[in-house]
Amino acid sequence: MSKIEQSSRRDFLKTASAAVATPYIYTSVARANAERPAPSDRIVMGGIGIGNMGRGDQGAFLHRKDVQYVALCDVRDEVREKSKEGIDRHYNNKDCQIYNDFRELLARPDIDAVHIATPDHWHAIMVIEACRAGKDVYCQKPETLTLREGPLMIAAARRYGRVVSGGSQRVLEDYRKQVDPAWAGEFGKIKSINVNVGPLPQLCNLPAEDITEKIDWDMWLGPAPWQPYNAKRCSGSFSINGSSWRSFSDYSGGGMTDWGAHHFGGALFVTDVRELQPEDVTYHEEKDGTYLAYRFPNGMILYHNRPHTENLAIEGSSESKEPKAVPGYQGEGGIYGDFIHCVKTREKPFRDIELAVNSSAVSHLGNIAYALKRSLKWDPARQEFPGDAEANRLVDRARREPWQL
Amino acid sequence: MLNEAFEALKKYDWGTDRAPVAPIEQAVTASHGNAAAREDLEKRLLAALQGELSRDARDFVCRMLTICGSAAAVPAVAPLLTDEYHSHMARFVLERIAAPEAAQALRDALAKVSGKMKIGVIGSLGGRRDTAAVPALCTLLKDENAAVARSAAVALGDIGSAEAAKALQECQPAAAETKQAVIDAQLACAEALLAESKASVAMGIYKALAGDDQARLVRLAATRGMLNCAGKPA
Repeated sequence: MSKIEQSSRRDFLKTASAAVATPYIYTSVARANAERPAPSDRIVMGGIGIGNMGRGDQGAFLHRKDVQYVALCDVRDEVREKSKEGIDRHYNNKDCQIYNDFRELLARPDIDAVHIATPDHWHAIMVIEACRAGKDVYCQKPETLTLREGPLMIAAARRYGRVVSGGSQRVLEDYRKQVDPAWAGEFGKIKSINVNVGPLPQLCNLPAEDITEKIDWDMWLGPAPWQPYNAKRCSGSFSINGSSWRSFSDYSGGGMTDWGAHHFGGALFVTDVRELQPEDVTYHEEKDGTYLAYRFPNGMILYHNRPHTENLAIEGSSESKEPKAVPGYQGEGGIYGDFIHCVKTREKPFRDIELAVNSSAVSHLGNIAYALKRSLKWDPARQEFPGDAEANRLVDRARREPWQL
Repeated sequence: MLNEAFEALKKYDWGTDRAPVAPIEQAVTASHGNAAAREDLEKRLLAALQGELSRDARDFVCRMLTICGSAAAVPAVAPLLTDEYHSHMARFVLERIAAPEAAQALRDALAKVSGKMKIGVIGSLGGRRDTAAVPALCTLLKDENAAVARSAAVALGDIGSAEAAKALQECQPAAAETKQAVIDAQLACAEALLAESKASVAMGIYKALAGDDQARLVRLAATRGMLNCAGKPA
């Protein structure tokens, strides 16, 4: 954290406690815990979207001594209340503030950083608004719902000098068996890698149901098209086969983005093309199956669901590759510790938003190629399909009023 | 089979089986590169849109037109912009059709809608980066509804032209939410102008935002921008 920012925050903390109803520096637990950093050196956090993944993220941040968790937001009453109970129990106070509207949480000047784990259709709006409000952000994967969202999220992060980390811990933690030898040069220059993941997202026309939970339905839908309440439509379960929002194209890219964030992210890491996006996607419809081949600017081919090919199968070459040190997390505590370390030092996190967006872009390009059942050319610099008006229509979609990026 | 699918569309609603209308989706995809087939399909979709359909079926038609609609779809879709229940899905179509008629329909709708629907139309014009909408958006910066004014600022930031930047610099919003959006939009314009190698214009915007009267977050953003204009890594 820069001296300017530290100074400003301390100044704020000296004067704001009387005016703002926050627990920041005067909790008895905070004073008594000698092992914890001084209150003014803790990262003050809030969480938005505290369902399945959000609950896990919240736990990881809450248990850090260098974090003071002060606020949470969710559109479900029960989630809010239960989550507050847990946080207040942790700190032995009643200070955690709860919100239905994320904008109220982001408006708090005492909050340094937020974690976001809403359904995907909310990510871009919330990340951009958080950056505009001067917050650092840890955003669950998949970070984007459309191709257009990624560059706007990166722009907001860079504009305001924010630390914005994507949320796939598996990119580093699940694929070390492939990453280490690949970066050591053992495969030579890698010609190709394969990712098996799916399914594709589907349109949702589940029937209307009576609302049996206390939920702000309009806020849950947010920028997505209006649809009637159905418990499966808004279920946060990990199903991608029609019984959770992860299955449906209005809220998610389906398995292609949900698990794709991990697998494609891992494949891009293994092959050291995290900073690139593919230049074309070739659609193959063959006897043994339908699959894709993405070609990256360095010539590397990323296959998706190539028949008879294992996930993360690597095709090396005899062309030598200079060994490189494998980047990893900084700080302590995995991807969460990496984020907090970077919030303090202002370095880029391991899963910097730009790298996360590149990974998401692979998923979206694949979904579009499968939807149109044809090959596509992609211009990563211009973020468009050159000369392909039809495909360019799918780069983004209109958001339901009043939501805007 | 396609005839049956269009027949099934008349009964399509939330909770019904999607399989009977799936041939329409398949036909939309398959008609790529076949102008005659696509024109025929578009006509059938537009005819369906003007008939009796459930809201879900109408949404389905709009989703299809998002892919295969042309300027010919605009007269049938544009009236939905003023319909509270269908305005969003009309924008789903019109925001993505590159034809100038679609942009014109959105601009024309600005005078016919208010509140959230107006914000939606403004957002779609921004999403299209519709430079022809800049004068109207500049006027809306002064709208008495602060949410509308904020929305216009965001859209002008999306458009990112020198004209948009000038209007943003000159407006004096009263509401805090509009002020913040105007500043953010100016920064977005400066980035777009710098990307177009108009560094001197971008520098002017940044300098105006770097003063002590601005919040620290904005001053730092402006300083970063000035460094970028000077070709130095921020």
